[in-house]
Amino acid sequence: MTNDIIGTLESLVPELTQALGQASSLDEVEALRVRFLGRKGLLAELMSGMAALSPEERPAVGKAANTVKTAMTVVWEERVQALQSVMQDQALEFFDPSAPSWRPDRGSLHPVTRVMREVCSVFTGLGFEVVSGPEVENDFTNFEALNLPPEHPARDMQDTLYISDSILLRTHTSPLQVRTMLARKPPLGVIAPGKVYRRDSDITHTPMFHQIEGLLVDTHVTMADLRGILTAFVQTVFGHDTKVRFRPSFFPFTEPSAEVDISCVICGGSGKTAPDTACRVCKETGWVEILGCGMVDPAVFAKVGYDPDIYTGFAFGLGVERIAMLKYGIGDLRMFFENDLRFLGQFA
Amino acid sequence: MLLSLSWLREFVPYTGEVSALADTLTMLGLEVEEVRNPFAALDTLVVGHVVKCAAHPESDHLSVCRVDIGAEAALDIVCGAPNVAAGQKVPVAPVGTIMPDGLEIKKAKLRGQTSCGMICSERELGLGEGHAGIMILDADLQPGIKLSAALGLEDTVLDVSITPNRADCLSVLGLAREVAAAFALPLTMPAVQVRESGEAFTQFRIEVDPALCPLYQARLIRGVRIGPSPAWLRYRLLAVGLRPINTVVDITNYVMLELGQPLHAFDRDRLEGQRIQVALATEGMAFTTLDGQDRVLTARDLLIWDDVRPVALAGVMGGANSEITDQSSSVVLESAVFDPASVRKTARRLGLSSDASFRFERGVDQVGTSLAMNRAAQLMAELAGGQVAPGVAKAEPHPFVARTLGFTPAKATRLLGQTMDEAFCQSTLERLGCTVSAAAEPWEVVPPSFRLDLEREVDLIEEVARMYGMDRIEGALPTVQKCLHDLDKVDPTYAFLSQIKDWGVGVGLAEAVNYSFVGTADLDRCGVNDQGRVLICNPLSEDMNVLRTDLAPGLFNTLRHNISQDSTRVRVFEVAHTFVQDAQSDTQTKENNRLAILLHGGRFPGRYPYPHGQSEYADIKGLVEHLLGTLHLSGSFCRTPEHPFLLPAVSVQVGHDMIGWIGRVRPDLADTYLARGEVWYADLDLDVLLRLYGQTQIVFAPIPKYPVIRRDMTLAVPLSLPLEQVVHTVREIQESLLDDIFIADIYTPDAGTAEAVRNVTYRFVYRHAEKTLKDKDVDKVHSRIAQHITGQLPIRFP
Repeated sequence: MTNDIIGTLESLVPELTQALGQASSLDEVEALRVRFLGRKGLLAELMSGMAALSPEERPAVGKAANTVKTAMTVVWEERVQALQSVMQDQALEFFDPSAPSWRPDRGSLHPVTRVMREVCSVFTGLGFEVVSGPEVENDFTNFEALNLPPEHPARDMQDTLYISDSILLRTHTSPLQVRTMLARKPPLGVIAPGKVYRRDSDITHTPMFHQIEGLLVDTHVTMADLRGILTAFVQTVFGHDTKVRFRPSFFPFTEPSAEVDISCVICGGSGKTAPDTACRVCKETGWVEILGCGMVDPAVFAKVGYDPDIYTGFAFGLGVERIAMLKYGIGDLRMFFENDLRFLGQFA
Repeated sequence: MLLSLSWLREFVPYTGEVSALADTLTMLGLEVEEVRNPFAALDTLVVGHVVKCAAHPESDHLSVCRVDIGAEAALDIVCGAPNVAAGQKVPVAPVGTIMPDGLEIKKAKLRGQTSCGMICSERELGLGEGHAGIMILDADLQPGIKLSAALGLEDTVLDVSITPNRADCLSVLGLAREVAAAFALPLTMPAVQVRESGEAFTQFRIEVDPALCPLYQARLIRGVRIGPSPAWLRYRLLAVGLRPINTVVDITNYVMLELGQPLHAFDRDRLEGQRIQVALATEGMAFTTLDGQDRVLTARDLLIWDDVRPVALAGVMGGANSEITDQSSSVVLESAVFDPASVRKTARRLGLSSDASFRFERGVDQVGTSLAMNRAAQLMAELAGGQVAPGVAKAEPHPFVARTLGFTPAKATRLLGQTMDEAFCQSTLERLGCTVSAAAEPWEVVPPSFRLDLEREVDLIEEVARMYGMDRIEGALPTVQKCLHDLDKVDPTYAFLSQIKDWGVGVGLAEAVNYSFVGTADLDRCGVNDQGRVLICNPLSEDMNVLRTDLAPGLFNTLRHNISQDSTRVRVFEVAHTFVQDAQSDTQTKENNRLAILLHGGRFPGRYPYPHGQSEYADIKGLVEHLLGTLHLSGSFCRTPEHPFLLPAVSVQVGHDMIGWIGRVRPDLADTYLARGEVWYADLDLDVLLRLYGQTQIVFAPIPKYPVIRRDMTLAVPLSLPLEQVVHTVREIQESLLDDIFIADIYTPDAGTAEAVRNVTYRFVYRHAEKTLKDKDVDKVHSRIAQHITGQLPIRFP
């Protein structure tokens, strides 16, 4: 009786070994584990017969059962390992690096924001501080304090969207010059990016656009400083070979005033994109206008209570979309505000 | 300002290249925007000699001409003009010519006769009104030479952009002065000699409003012949874009363009009485300007009156009741100065900007008024047979007084950062027409009467810089000094908004920028409160007439645009101001920095290996929680019944501060923006977030040393019970061993039925700060928690 049981027990090992040899997947191998070694498996079944044995017989059978269990576990684990290794090899052999990936969404920064950042970082690097202010302004800060009294012909240059007789949408970021100077005492160097508004809408004008204003006031600020700062800015943003040209101009809040041109970024200043093709961006002049600037007009200092005999300063204002168009080669201004994802997505 | 080069050369002998002239003007601050040939359209036309002219065999009004144009073979041209005849010299447009009106001349057959070109009338050439027949040229002309050479049309025109301060450059003379100064060339003024005859013009009295008219003077010219001006004058006007009208009007325009002084000619016989007054209108009075428009005036409009009625809007436009007609013979020629602001107000209010008002608004040279008046009178005598009456009728309550300005060369050097030596400063100012007395510092500088813009020393410094060459000032990099006491005034707004935008990009959203204004209809459609809206009183259109009180309409437009462009997945954000009225503000407006996020369409791109699924509440809430987490803040989310366009709408609070709303855009509203699926939206107040963020501080917590034990508990939670309530209730007992609790899974077996409950598996994470936990410690706590929550909440074990 005892020997029968032990014989049956011991026969389980070759039986499992043979079955494992025929199993080709981990699932089949697992099924074999359940069949032979599981709680209701063959081994367990035989063991449940132990209850019928006499106490003398039990130790020998128990010992045999343990040996069988260990042997079966070993062959099973060996088989699992062998199968796993085969599968790993297979997986490696057929690993496909071209398989499509799971990539997180790529967001995008509006080109206006990108340019504003780039410009602001040039100036903050030079020690300027970024300030911001309201987009709805009053006549004093937007015009009067900037030496643009009512009926001044220069008000023509910026047709205004009005909220009431004296409240308007700021036509430039220059009111931030006034607000900053009223709030602080020199020396001060600030840069003010923001939205501005004009009553103008056509293929080259949108009623809202963005400007960046810069202002430096101290006791010995000169036009040479202005040129130096703006050259640093231009060459950082457009490259070190870019040439800068100062041309006299007029702004009511600066005197002397200048427009700044840079050598055309499209044709490199030659005026031609090919030997016989005129550059359309600079209209063959080799120069493109990018900003207006000048020395703060003494009349502006008077309005904010700075003594023009002590302080001098410079101010400049540039159009962000204009820079973005030149920098990225965007031809149509209106695209900036359509928010087409195929446009925005290019600035990721 | 269009400048004719040939006209300029009458004042200054510039012989260099046009391009060098254009560059010089540009670098003087007189930007040349374009250089063009004003008669380029006539470039291919030539002088032809009509050798033979016969009646067309098939027509009673056409002629068949043989025209010699200097080429080997003469051209056959069929001509319809009644005045064509053999022996004439005529303008010929050969085949291939594009006429000024755009018509291309082609080889054609006219009733069987070949025609290889066109013989042109004045009107066809854009040179005049003559269209009764072809233009007949001087008989001495050589056939084949260019028509432009034959007519003296070879000119170059520079389009010069004049800044508002340089009123003096709105004339040939003014630009000639600059050219003379820049190239050190002599300036030649026109020789003006008025030959007076007949009865003196002394009976006219001039009465002016001294505040608005510092000078008014006039001459009388009798016996003028009204007709077309001579060709040279007409061509010159045409070259700079003015349409010739008749001798008298053309002469006033010519002199204005030449000398910068607007002139006006009245028909003497249509003026009542012996008096001219310059006085304000009365409120509401009507007046018909010579363009035939009836204008309603205000008490601020300045008028020219005869003895009984207004006859011109001063400095803006003449009246129909006194304008020169073909029957006129006596002309009262006005040369005056009007208050710039007054002219500007009237011109702007009436939307009536004329060449005259443009100049008066910017200021004219009071001293130069006499020269201009006399020059025009002389031309009327020479070109229209007029007799200039002796004497000038004049009132000048405020004769021109020149300013004396101080000037210190060292100040120029100090402001420009480039040495300006004294000799250069002096010669420059003198070349520009200033009188300089440099005996002592500051120098005494008297600007010329035509330079009204030179009012202060700094204006003189600009002149010195301009003539020195602003582009020659060398750059230097300054150091930006800072005040120690201003360091705490650093404005954090820009940096914070940048941080928010970076977050948006980082979580995969596209930044949109919309106009700050929308239409009131857009706001109404969203159902937002109409109180406190900031309206634009002169909007470009009705869909841009109000500032956004909510960013939504702008982002909804972005949504619509992209859906209309076939986008199925829109995930965007915008950082911008909203605006509401605020009586306390110096701008009457309160502006608020806000962040709006809009999600529509798939949670992931619709392709392998991403799973399917649309954006839902969890997505928008997750983004907001993620943002708050980035800022070291945490929010609470409560259903709110009150939102104009979100349903469901959920308010977001951080502590006691309301920071915004999230929710689903009402389907009916989303539908109007073309969105068929769900649109999820968040709107957050960045000013509040900035304030809260400014108060947060990162405090390091030690990293736990001992391991955790995790236990799951699955509970049947009714749909009516917020899931977070369970967590709150667990936390009520403040069990110190409980390190974390979160939902591991939710299964809703009877979804869609009335009895539906959620089987929610909460995972409890236990940890002891100072020792390794044993199962039995956890068992006790875990069952205490289970008892507590099943006792407190309508939940059970499933």
